[in-house]
Amino acid sequence: MPGADKETAITERIEAFLADLKRGGSGTGPLRGSGEMARETTYLLRRITAQARWSSAGDLMEIIRNEGRRMTAAQPSETTVGNMVRRVLKIIREEYARSRGSSEETEQQESLHKLLTSGGLSEENFRQQFVHLKANVIEAINELLTELDGTTDNIAMQALEHIHSNEVIMTVGRSRTVEAFLKDAARKRKFHVIVAECAPFCQGHEMATGLSKAGIETTVIADAAIFAVMSRVNKVIIGTQTVLANGGLRAVNGAHSVALAARHHSTPLIICAPMFKLSPQFPNEEDTFHKFVSPHEMLPFTAGEILSKVNVHCPVFDYVPPELITLFISNIGGNAPSYIYRLMSELYHPEDHEL
Amino acid sequence: MSSRGGKQKKGNVTSEQEEEEQPLQAVLVADSFNRRFFPISKDQPRALLPLGNVAMIDYTLEFLTSTGVQETFVFCCWMSNKIKDHLLKSKWCRPTSPNVVHIITSDLYRSLGDVLRDVDAKNLVRNDFILVYGDVVSNIDVSQALQEHRHRRKVDKNISVMTMVFKESSPGHKSRCEEDDVIVAMDSKSKRVLHYQKTQGLKKLQFPMNIFQHGSDEFEVRHDLLDCHISICSPQVAELFTDNFDYQTRSDFVRGILVNEEILGNQIHLYVTQDGYGARVSNLQMYDSVSSDMVRRWVYPLTPEANFTDQQGQGCTHSRHNVYRGAEVSLGQGSQMEENVLIGRDTSIGANCRISNSVIGNNCTIGDNVVLDRAYMWNNVHISSNVEIHQSVVCDGAVVKEAVRLNKQCVLAYNVVIGPNLSLPEGTVVSMHHPEEEEEDDDDEFLSDDQEVGHSKDKTRQKAFNPAEVGPEGKGYIWKASMDDTEDEELAQCLWGLVLNPDPESDSESEASEESQDHSRSVSPEIDDVNAFQLEVLGTLQRGLEENIVCDNLVLEINSLKYAYNITLKEVMQILTRVVLEYPFQQQGTQLTTLQYTGSLLPKCNEGQRAETVKE
Repeated sequence: MPGADKETAITERIEAFLADLKRGGSGTGPLRGSGEMARETTYLLRRITAQARWSSAGDLMEIIRNEGRRMTAAQPSETTVGNMVRRVLKIIREEYARSRGSSEETEQQESLHKLLTSGGLSEENFRQQFVHLKANVIEAINELLTELDGTTDNIAMQALEHIHSNEVIMTVGRSRTVEAFLKDAARKRKFHVIVAECAPFCQGHEMATGLSKAGIETTVIADAAIFAVMSRVNKVIIGTQTVLANGGLRAVNGAHSVALAARHHSTPLIICAPMFKLSPQFPNEEDTFHKFVSPHEMLPFTAGEILSKVNVHCPVFDYVPPELITLFISNIGGNAPSYIYRLMSELYHPEDHEL
Repeated sequence: MSSRGGKQKKGNVTSEQEEEEQPLQAVLVADSFNRRFFPISKDQPRALLPLGNVAMIDYTLEFLTSTGVQETFVFCCWMSNKIKDHLLKSKWCRPTSPNVVHIITSDLYRSLGDVLRDVDAKNLVRNDFILVYGDVVSNIDVSQALQEHRHRRKVDKNISVMTMVFKESSPGHKSRCEEDDVIVAMDSKSKRVLHYQKTQGLKKLQFPMNIFQHGSDEFEVRHDLLDCHISICSPQVAELFTDNFDYQTRSDFVRGILVNEEILGNQIHLYVTQDGYGARVSNLQMYDSVSSDMVRRWVYPLTPEANFTDQQGQGCTHSRHNVYRGAEVSLGQGSQMEENVLIGRDTSIGANCRISNSVIGNNCTIGDNVVLDRAYMWNNVHISSNVEIHQSVVCDGAVVKEAVRLNKQCVLAYNVVIGPNLSLPEGTVVSMHHPEEEEEDDDDEFLSDDQEVGHSKDKTRQKAFNPAEVGPEGKGYIWKASMDDTEDEELAQCLWGLVLNPDPESDSESEASEESQDHSRSVSPEIDDVNAFQLEVLGTLQRGLEENIVCDNLVLEINSLKYAYNITLKEVMQILTRVVLEYPFQQQGTQLTTLQYTGSLLPKCNEGQRAETVKE
């Protein structure tokens, strides 16, 4: 009886979460940021681990994989959900390996040597049952949650190394991470910030208000003025929605033009992105890469008759190729775009790239 | 005793908490009580007709759930079993659904009024509720309107009875249903409705003057409103419907409230939304508009690829130019899906087809060289080669054979077959039900018993299909817009919206109706006096112009008339202004001089009046 209740409770939570994902966001993304989305997903996964019925690691991984597939299908553009699912799967693998007693490092790296020596023994069934596996997995997920909580602070702590006095910094739209980053630097340094408003959602306005409340000199410019102003800018610091597997970005629309303008003026482009935004996706997925929302932001309903004669599209995201990016600042430090593949192999297991 | 005392003390706090904790309720009327979709709705109730391959009632329920409704009462009348089955299988009736759906069926409902009377009789609603129809497609977040409504009721002690939700939209927009076009006079600050009139077919509009005398100084007369058919009602609405047995529709109710305002003191407010989309599919023209709006993502997040109904296999991919493809769709060589196309799963399309602005259902087969433009095809439709379809609806199971051309505004109902080499003229409606079946089966209309329907089908098989109308291999009967109704109405209601009947009597009829309205209004003796006064003033002005009388004398005459007819100062000024402004229209010619003359008359009159008030 209590088991059945628990199951319906979990199913209800999952359904509510899926419905939220589907409905969430009528513009630039969910009303809550990616960080909260990641945290919600992790809470949900922890609950599934604690309350679902499973006997071996393989079962648990199957359950989590199924739920993960449903969640990513509900809102394909919300990649943090899938990323967290993959992190948890990796955690399960690690804990299983640790319980079995074999050392982790030799298991993870695939090398020619390993291929020659191990042969058929490398088949992992994950069928063995361990008593403390559940507790270990839940503890590891708790550590993951702590890490998630601290990402913004970790990134903000690195601000002083990158921002110097009397610099002019440009940013686009609104990113909580970049806001914290700049506010932290403003405690000790004086600098100017130019915010591009990023039409049609114009989130740059909120960013500018937030920054000026912290005492930073802020200027808001229209997107068309980005290239004109770029010659005066020392650095461009932006946030992103997702970091792709090749080091490219899926950022807010307008980011690509900023990146090109920065490359033209040889201005460094710095991306502040926490590790949970790193996704094993590549940018060639035509149908799920973009998100188009209601055209009323571009051409409102009051435009009248013309609306039946024109097609109006309102995309939310933009692709920035890795060649235009100088540096990624994440909670584990600064990295070049060409190093992203390595970071990814540490975060996710190759078999989990496709849920 | 002590507990009661305690309750009374805490009464205020707990009642507020209770108000906030009580679940938001909604009343969904899954029947439209009219036959705009006949003969399509003879086989399937309107709420279950697919719009973008999803039943219309699903859109309404999703709108209610996402706006926070936790308890919905669905009232069904026509074919209630089908609606019930559909809902029980849908995600709304799962135990994990945040919105609890109760389905109430009865064969006795004949109008919205009956439904609301039943709501009152069964005491279903405890608090403010949302009233919608089953064919409303919307993504508006009503919580803002709800907050305003609740605030108004708290501040004004339950005077405001209903808040209607409208969307701001310019008059030319194609999602504005012409039948629902309204002109609303409202008080800008309190958003109160002062005058509400449907403008369809009217060339002149009249506003009674007393509506502008309510003490506020900012008024708006708006014609840029799209009626979403979403209303936030207080529990009093149900009671008012029970009290007034002749209220049948929402317009009756609104008009009744506005007319009886002095007696009952109730007010209606409105909420105009700029963001968000809301429209009701009341006829096929609206079906076309709302469908194309949905495919072009105006109703985000209710888009086809979101699969918000959680049905297995219903998901589709969204590609460039708003092309949505379901699973297992096969496209022949050279075929192009140009823009704004939605194709359901398991559909196969032949070679060299050109499809644009269309919605195709599941399991359809389309042949080669087919041109589809604004075609709406439901499930299991079979279309052979060399067919052209323009702005038409093809229902489930229909078969269109080779070389057929469906011109604009055709409708092929369920299971119809249209034979090869035929061109259907504009506005043709073909159905497997014979049009004369209507009169025979009047009593059987509301029975959903399958056996009865089977009997009627046997009767129709005896009547042969006319090959000239539906083609050599065709099956079906042509329905014409019924001619009986045109005697009563000037505008014939066909499926696609209103068609102006070229009836020469119509103009005189509308004039006659206006005059009769005038007569009904001038019943009270006061208004008779005012009219007489106005005529006298007009006469005075005319004489003054003709005989070139000095202004002061005219002012004297008007003053004496004022006492004779016992008109208040305010009214004198109103009527005088009106007469002066209208006068040039009646006298075409010496306009400039008239204006100068009357221009000098007014200020003198004004001075005179002010002097009068000082004396009084």
